[in-house]
Amino acid sequence: MEQIIANGLYLGAQYALIALGLTLIFSLMNVLNFAHGQMYVLGGFVTYTVVSQFGLPFIVGLLASAAILAAVGAAIEKFLFAPVIKKSKREESTMLLAAGIAFFLDAVILLVFGEKQRGVPKILNGVLNWDFRIIMPYDRILIGVLAIAMIAGFILFMQYTKAGRAMRALAQDRMAAELMGVDVKRYSMIGFALGAMLAGLVGGLLVTITGINLGMGGPTSIKAFMMIMIGGAGVISGAIAGGFILGMMESIGLTLLAAYGDITYLVIFASLMIFLAIRPQGLMGKPWG
Amino acid sequence: MNTNRLIGVGAFLIAVFVIVPLLIATSGRWDFYYTLTSVALLAIASAGVWLTFYIGRINIGQGAYALAGGYVSAILVTKAGFNFWVTLPLAGLFCAGLAVLIGLPILRLRGVYFAMVTLVLTEVGRLSALALPVTNGAKGITSIPLPGELSIFGLTLIPDFATLQNPKLAFYLAAVFLMVACYAALYRIVNSRLGHLCRSLQQNEELSASIGVNTAYLRVLTYSISSFFGGIAGAMFVAISQSIYPSSFQVADSVNFMLNCFLGGLGYVFGPMLGTLMLYFGWDLLFTTGRYQLLIYSSLLIILMLVLPNGVLSLFERKGGRK
Amino acid sequence: MNRRSLLKSTALAAVASLSFLGMAHAENPVLKIGFVGVTSGPAAAWGISNQRSMETRAAWLNELGGYEIDGTMYDIEIVAFDDQKDPKRAIAGMEKMAQDGIHYVVGPNVDDGAAAVRPVAEQNGIMYFPYAFPKELYTAPASNAVLGMVANYQSGPAIYKYLMENNGVKKVAFVAANESDPLSQRDGGVEAAKALGMEVVSDSVTYQVDTTDFTPVLLPVIQTQPDLLVLSGVSPANAPQLIRSARELGYEGLISTETAQDATVLQEGAGELANGFISVGGASTPELASDAMREFVDRYTKMFGEYNDESNTKVYALEYILETIKANPAAMTDVEEFKKAMDTFEAPNPYMVGDAKLSYVGSTSFGQKRQVSVPLVVNVFKDGAFETLFVAQVD
Repeated sequence: MEQIIANGLYLGAQYALIALGLTLIFSLMNVLNFAHGQMYVLGGFVTYTVVSQFGLPFIVGLLASAAILAAVGAAIEKFLFAPVIKKSKREESTMLLAAGIAFFLDAVILLVFGEKQRGVPKILNGVLNWDFRIIMPYDRILIGVLAIAMIAGFILFMQYTKAGRAMRALAQDRMAAELMGVDVKRYSMIGFALGAMLAGLVGGLLVTITGINLGMGGPTSIKAFMMIMIGGAGVISGAIAGGFILGMMESIGLTLLAAYGDITYLVIFASLMIFLAIRPQGLMGKPWG
Repeated sequence: MNTNRLIGVGAFLIAVFVIVPLLIATSGRWDFYYTLTSVALLAIASAGVWLTFYIGRINIGQGAYALAGGYVSAILVTKAGFNFWVTLPLAGLFCAGLAVLIGLPILRLRGVYFAMVTLVLTEVGRLSALALPVTNGAKGITSIPLPGELSIFGLTLIPDFATLQNPKLAFYLAAVFLMVACYAALYRIVNSRLGHLCRSLQQNEELSASIGVNTAYLRVLTYSISSFFGGIAGAMFVAISQSIYPSSFQVADSVNFMLNCFLGGLGYVFGPMLGTLMLYFGWDLLFTTGRYQLLIYSSLLIILMLVLPNGVLSLFERKGGRK
Repeated sequence: MNRRSLLKSTALAAVASLSFLGMAHAENPVLKIGFVGVTSGPAAAWGISNQRSMETRAAWLNELGGYEIDGTMYDIEIVAFDDQKDPKRAIAGMEKMAQDGIHYVVGPNVDDGAAAVRPVAEQNGIMYFPYAFPKELYTAPASNAVLGMVANYQSGPAIYKYLMENNGVKKVAFVAANESDPLSQRDGGVEAAKALGMEVVSDSVTYQVDTTDFTPVLLPVIQTQPDLLVLSGVSPANAPQLIRSARELGYEGLISTETAQDATVLQEGAGELANGFISVGGASTPELASDAMREFVDRYTKMFGEYNDESNTKVYALEYILETIKANPAAMTDVEEFKKAMDTFEAPNPYMVGDAKLSYVGSTSFGQKRQVSVPLVVNVFKDGAFETLFVAQVD
């Protein structure tokens, strides 16, 4: 039992961090960023390159991932999303753009980093074994703690800085925020960069444990979509809740349903659909996103 | 329908039924038959997605219905010995029925929530196909016979495909015929009372409900028509590949169906057809570029979106023009 | 509709590219060999190692002045099509090959693609060499597919038997991804293990391929305390994570798989925890590899920057196609001739030391010779490299 909860918490922490970036972008611009998973993969590959190819410390790799992804995110918003949103009649049209960017990043990653699974050596050795009730390698604990610290840092940033307040205002009511003198263009770009940066950071963190490969982008996006649906799209606390709930569901589901094997994920996905049918706006979302 | 439009339709029919086969025969590019058959079938599924867009819902779950339709046809043909042509409408009807069951709860959702639930639905479809005993699970259903003869009172309507000299041409004609029929139906729906009501839903559901439109009924009806299209497209594909696996239609397909609609233009009935042609054919044409294929393809997609965010057909939009 | 102009421009583009290629190899006639497989997206690694093996070998042969068949030197050209792991696209790829007048195609890489291209291949007279295991592809009435590697239902029993006899393994557990290929392979493995009299303690646990943490997946499996944990049809991306999670949960038994793996990937992903991991490899263990194999690896590395150990198996298909055509030149345009030659075909295996032979096998599994004979090399991973555990033959 303790093990299941520990697994769920660890999964939840990483999921929540992925979902945060996605939900931030969604709340600011109403864009469902299909390329979020690809950004995560890119972040992982950047850290891998810095750590394994250049032989620099892990923290440098992580910072490099954050910086590069923030730049990529800002550029994507400024040169792609902003003009398209301005010109298109239906804002859903940005989905095609997001998917195009996802394909594009996939292609770039394949050409630059190759098709192989990559990983960096363990940053911490040893396994915590609490009387066989909880078995958790130290590096996982470290990554879990780091992820939670980043989530906390992000919340503080959104609560107490000027940029954070501006973005929350934007998310609440774009028009009103603009009238109150918030520089919408600037903060949309910052928000997108921040979201992309979060994705890159998770990629960098997880490359030490799960490694990274080109194929992880699409499925990661879909998982992140599910989390923000559970919590409520565009709500930061919802994304965190969604991440932890999905992590727990997987951990518990995999243990309880192990005997039925093939249907574990079927049950998880089906119950998610039923949940949303009953509560269409997720746990904490505004109705109709 | 005015004369101009009539001429246009006539020209299109002649083009797909006469000129394309002639061109292929003279150029010898027989492989285009399959490509164009795929385009026609994918365009049918995309037409369904477009119809759900028409009531203001983003549908990323069409792959699930295409898969279901494919399995219905495959199971009926291999296990119950049905004629393929009989299973084709049955596959569509099964999907329409399924869509009513699934649609009743989930059509209450809107915006991204509906989009995401349908995305999950595709994955549920794949996992169900893996888990259900009737689908033969992971091993899939293979060695499905080609479509047999269809005759009424001894009059052969469709010959047995296995005896044909050129089944590729036969599949092409069948697929294009289906496509024309589906788009004619779609056009009819859009320009009927149902279409007007759908547009009112797209604009504002509360408002249309308040003036007495039965929105719940309308939503389920359109969604099941949409899934019907998905089902027959899936069934037809299975007849061509003579096999079906749980991965025959997956999330990537669902996403592509949606992208086809966006690319062609959400405001135009024939948008999804053009979108499918461009997306699918585009990939094929870039085949000679080797490892840069995906890079070029995605770059073109992004550029197209920057230039024409309202779909390719918005190019032809005239001032005051309706379609 | 601009379908007509599209058609025209395509035809033009095709003609242009053909004539361009024709100029590049003006001296020798060109023999085209196709490849239809996945070289982009999540499973890109499978197809890319395939395509690159073929391109490396073709470039090598062309550099030597071409490949001699019936007194004529041919330049080998590889025509590759990316099917994106979509069976519908795989059919389109096969149609392209038929259009190009190609009769020999390597791929597709997965079960659904291989099954989907069957009608096209049979209608157009194409022999294809899939890396997919369903038996109905290779047993009569199907006759155009040739299995390009050792199937799991052939390697699995050999590995289990060896481990039973040498390591006293009694209890075995299976884990597989919830996709067609791995699940089929798991079912085959369970059957084989039971036939050998092993106790299968867990065979129902599956995982999504995009799993980022395998601890919850493996927890119930490890609790059944198997002696051997089989990762059925595991992709190179998931293998290191599964190994690592199992070891970190305190599992001390053996771990094996029937798919080919890459040493670098294992080393990076699991480090020393992967020591003792048993997998199926090709013919490039230092003891078996001939000079030609070493040169192939060198050339591959030079051309593409990094070698992929999966190519040890994938180097063979092209070799078999060329050697068989050489043995019966009529097969160049007629696959029926190819099939005739298959029954008696035999040629020296350039990639293995000693007097190993290339020949077609599969009579036991498929009732007809529809499999290339490659040595079944079972490797064990040790400190960043594979060591040969044992070598067997499939008949």
